[in-house]
Amino acid sequence: MAQIFKPGADTIARSILVAMALAPLAFIAGCYAIAMSPHMTDQGVTVTQPVPFSHQHHVGGLGIDCRYCHNGVESSTVAAVPPTETCMTCHSQIWTNAAILEPVRKSLAADAPIHWSQVNRLPDYVYFDHSIHVAKGVGCTTCHGEVEHMPLMRQSSPLTMEWCLDCHRDPAPNLRALNEVFATDWKPPKDQNERGKRLMEKYQIHVANLTDCSVCHR
Amino acid sequence: MSKETTLSRRNALKLLAGQMALLVAGCSRPREEIVPYVRMPERLVPGTPLQFATTLDLGGYGRGVLCTSLEGRPIKIEGNPLHPASLGATDAFAEATIFSLYDPDRSQAVRQSGEISNWAAFLDALQPRLESLAARQGGGLRILTGPTTSPTFMRQIKSLRQRFPLLEWHAHDPLDDPSAREGAAMTFGRPLRMLQRLADADVVVSLDADPLGAGPLQILHARGFAARRQARKGGDAVARLYAVESAPTLTGANADNRLTSPLAQITAVAVAIARKLGAVMPEAPLGKEEAAFANELAQDLSAHKGRAFVMAGPALPPDVHALCHWINAQLQAPIDYFEVDGEALPSSLTNLMRDCEAGKVDSLFILGCNPAYDAPPSGRLAEAIGKAKLRAHLGSHFDETAALCEWHIPQTHILECWSDLVAPDGAASLVQPLIAPLYESRSVHEVLAAIDGSVASGHDLVRETWTASAPANEFERWWRRALQDGVIVGAAVKPASNLSPALPQMTSRAAESLMLVLRPDPCVYDGSLANNAWLQELPKPLTKEVWGNSIGIAPADAGALGIVDGDVLRLTANGRSVEAPIRIASGHAPGVLSLALGHGRTAAGRIGTGVGTNAYLLRVDSSWTIGGIVATRTGERRPRPSTQLQFSLEGEAADLFPSYTLEQFRALDGTVPETNAPTFLPAQRETGARWGMVIDTSLCIGCNACVVACQAENNSPVIGPDEVAAGRDMHWLRIDAYEIGSFGNRRTGFQPVPCMHCETAPCEPVCPTGASVHDSEGLNVQVYNRCIGTRFCEANCPYKVRRFNFFGYADGQEYGDLGADVMRAHNNPDVTVRSRGVMEKCTYCIQRISRARRAADKEDRPIADGEVVTACQSACPTRAISFGDLSQGEASVSALRREPQHYNLLGHLNTKPRTTYLAQVRNINAQLIGKEE
Repeated sequence: MAQIFKPGADTIARSILVAMALAPLAFIAGCYAIAMSPHMTDQGVTVTQPVPFSHQHHVGGLGIDCRYCHNGVESSTVAAVPPTETCMTCHSQIWTNAAILEPVRKSLAADAPIHWSQVNRLPDYVYFDHSIHVAKGVGCTTCHGEVEHMPLMRQSSPLTMEWCLDCHRDPAPNLRALNEVFATDWKPPKDQNERGKRLMEKYQIHVANLTDCSVCHR
Repeated sequence: MSKETTLSRRNALKLLAGQMALLVAGCSRPREEIVPYVRMPERLVPGTPLQFATTLDLGGYGRGVLCTSLEGRPIKIEGNPLHPASLGATDAFAEATIFSLYDPDRSQAVRQSGEISNWAAFLDALQPRLESLAARQGGGLRILTGPTTSPTFMRQIKSLRQRFPLLEWHAHDPLDDPSAREGAAMTFGRPLRMLQRLADADVVVSLDADPLGAGPLQILHARGFAARRQARKGGDAVARLYAVESAPTLTGANADNRLTSPLAQITAVAVAIARKLGAVMPEAPLGKEEAAFANELAQDLSAHKGRAFVMAGPALPPDVHALCHWINAQLQAPIDYFEVDGEALPSSLTNLMRDCEAGKVDSLFILGCNPAYDAPPSGRLAEAIGKAKLRAHLGSHFDETAALCEWHIPQTHILECWSDLVAPDGAASLVQPLIAPLYESRSVHEVLAAIDGSVASGHDLVRETWTASAPANEFERWWRRALQDGVIVGAAVKPASNLSPALPQMTSRAAESLMLVLRPDPCVYDGSLANNAWLQELPKPLTKEVWGNSIGIAPADAGALGIVDGDVLRLTANGRSVEAPIRIASGHAPGVLSLALGHGRTAAGRIGTGVGTNAYLLRVDSSWTIGGIVATRTGERRPRPSTQLQFSLEGEAADLFPSYTLEQFRALDGTVPETNAPTFLPAQRETGARWGMVIDTSLCIGCNACVVACQAENNSPVIGPDEVAAGRDMHWLRIDAYEIGSFGNRRTGFQPVPCMHCETAPCEPVCPTGASVHDSEGLNVQVYNRCIGTRFCEANCPYKVRRFNFFGYADGQEYGDLGADVMRAHNNPDVTVRSRGVMEKCTYCIQRISRARRAADKEDRPIADGEVVTACQSACPTRAISFGDLSQGEASVSALRREPQHYNLLGHLNTKPRTTYLAQVRNINAQLIGKEE
């Protein structure tokens, strides 16, 4: 009786066996990769806004401090998007007739708020507090990226739980002196690891309880 | 047929593929919007809650509160420490005010004969009538309200009388206490109001009274009671509370010595006490137990002259109240008497009905009350009201009375309007709005202004009242101070003095064979709160039943009638009858039945309509007792849903709810050593605070304020009567009621049970997904996103404090209309709203711990003792709950753990709970022990 399988069939059978073991793993890895990819996390996606407000111009060009507009950042959980009034403190004096600012003027005149699109979004079961991070030396650009180079805002970090935990396990690489928190051009100095450790001691940051579920979830 | 075949297989596959592609493409989260203010309101910081002082109303009196508002949305009520009727605590009704604000059944539009109309149309209809009324000096103009103390209201009535001199104001209070009023008039010749100071009394005798029960004085009395119930190692301050009562009350449950007697015998006890104190009056026949009790009462009272008093309940006749005044005068009792301004007293509902029937009423304004439901059912009310030419009703709901009136105007909620109220001790405070009115509604003040022909905002009307009270030229500063403090300094009334009560003539009354004693409902009060689902689902303190009421009956009487729990009984009196299921409860005197008012509404809203039995239907006048009741079995059974299904086991209370007499407590030496039995479970890593709670069961009066506070703080859903009947319950904090003492004369002991946060928590090792874990501060936390709903943890929890979302109670499958959009606004944004299929439980208000921790961390300091206050602790009127960091040895909670009566619930299980208890210590009169235990 003739051979049904050619000698090469062994190789194919072995490959199939290996593939059977690997395929589920690869599938899971693939799913994970997709879940963590910018496609799912929205990282790097530039968002269209009703008014094309440019951080590049206001922060990078004019050097306006973050807290001029985001004035809740040191005291509240949310940094706060400024009220129309804040825009108009300057724009009632300059660029008063610019077409681009028509929605802002309209908002003030009609007492109707501007509907901005949210850029950085955390799920509702995450209770993030800006003020404590700022107080402990985590700078704005650590999470929000180099806003001074962003004409329109985009989400600079993945905002996944893994990304949060990376820093909560070891905040040292991201800590700054308090006078550098709002610096938009901050780059980690060469001795950041040592400085970070010293700052952790100074700010009394204890990583032991920073990874408790109850720190962010309630 | 042809329709189905037009779709070819090819097209079907195309559509399927398209659908899948859409599904994948649609899989991203929707982008949300950020909508900032146009102009930022003063002091508001997004994400940070603000607190405003205001005043809430109960029975016309004010209780000062602080209302937490987040970005303009009121979400929580806390007590106002500066206000004398709150002292920093709340009651169940105050906590539930948040729910009533967002009640989806609130009336939302002006209606004329049931059709939607508007305010301008009402004013148009009002104008010609007012002109003709003014021409007649206001003859025929009547205003009917509920009980009120508002100074602005009084001022407006006065000012209305200038334009309409013949105007009459009637007030109707369904929970009125005419006996007390007549008793005072009998004794002092004028209507005095009194306020007992429990904190200053060593001996208190309650004769069918309920100072610790629901009402505007509950917080005040509870605090006074607690002040004299501090059994502590280094010297105790414990008063003695006696209760003689016909049917169970919270006061009786918390009494040191309690005697169950029919009302006639309670009268005889009062007479016996008076005789022992030197009164010359005929003896009243006394039973053996009552005689012994009265003897001890008289001895104890006269041994504590100046620090003892007697109080009488509304079910007792006026002459007993008068007799109590005389006894209190002999005792120089710590009671404040307040003069009542006779000129400002309203006329009664009875007078209004009489005038209506005589055709003397032209225009009737019913403001914020509901006589069609809660007035004595003469059957004439609808007809009488119908004779008025203009009938307008102002109410929060389109209720029973609204249906009788041509015009209905939605009433502004107390958290939406300007007003002012007076506390029982005379302290005035302002009501300020926390939010603009949600609907087109008007307040009582605005309607009165409209009748006066002026258009004024509530704000201006209230300011006008107080302009004269402020120092000259400093009104603005004075006004801001009054608003900020939530109490007006210097507005308190001086107590009356030089009172010399005379001994009253006692009227003899025949004893009734079967008598019904009415009580206000401890949850829905007079029925005006019936549409509040938080209160409907709140377990009644003594019986733990929810959603409705039942007839309480003594075991012997039930046996004689041959009925068991849940059998429906028909009560007939005065030609009217009601039916309700019975509940056998010791603590009822033989021949006494009890039934709570406030249920059986017919037009309360989608929550409260048709729940329970309307006890008002049996009432004659404002009487609290109905004699000559005929009780018949109907043969029907209607078991009532209840949250405490467990029956009592022999000796159970001794283990779970230990109780000491004061003598036993003083003999306790040292502290109970903490059990450190070996365990297989790994030790918890602990790096920071060790949160712990100690609950003093001597202080807990079972008032339920903590339960509603927890529900409001932690977004606990309402599940409805059917789910409760299925044995489910979503309150994170329950109050277990233990029956102590022998059968026939039991007392109830209260034990609030939140999560124990065990150090070796039995729920943790059994969770397959690690959803139940410990954090480094010793909290047993539940991670909702990990929970897959195996309910193993619930099964393994010996304290049964875990709650499972069998349905999306808060998330898509709400009870009744509670899924309405407006209801979402009451949620606390700091707490996750749990979805179907997850387990939840008490978190020790982790959001409050976290807020305090972040605040402390920002300032680089440790969290101070007392900085974290849990919702239940904050609400408690007796301060029975203490919370704090056990790692701080000097913290108050650590000190309480060293008290000798400290114990762990189910300590032998070695769960090392963080919530622990102080056993109940009662100052029992030993002479009466043999007779009553």
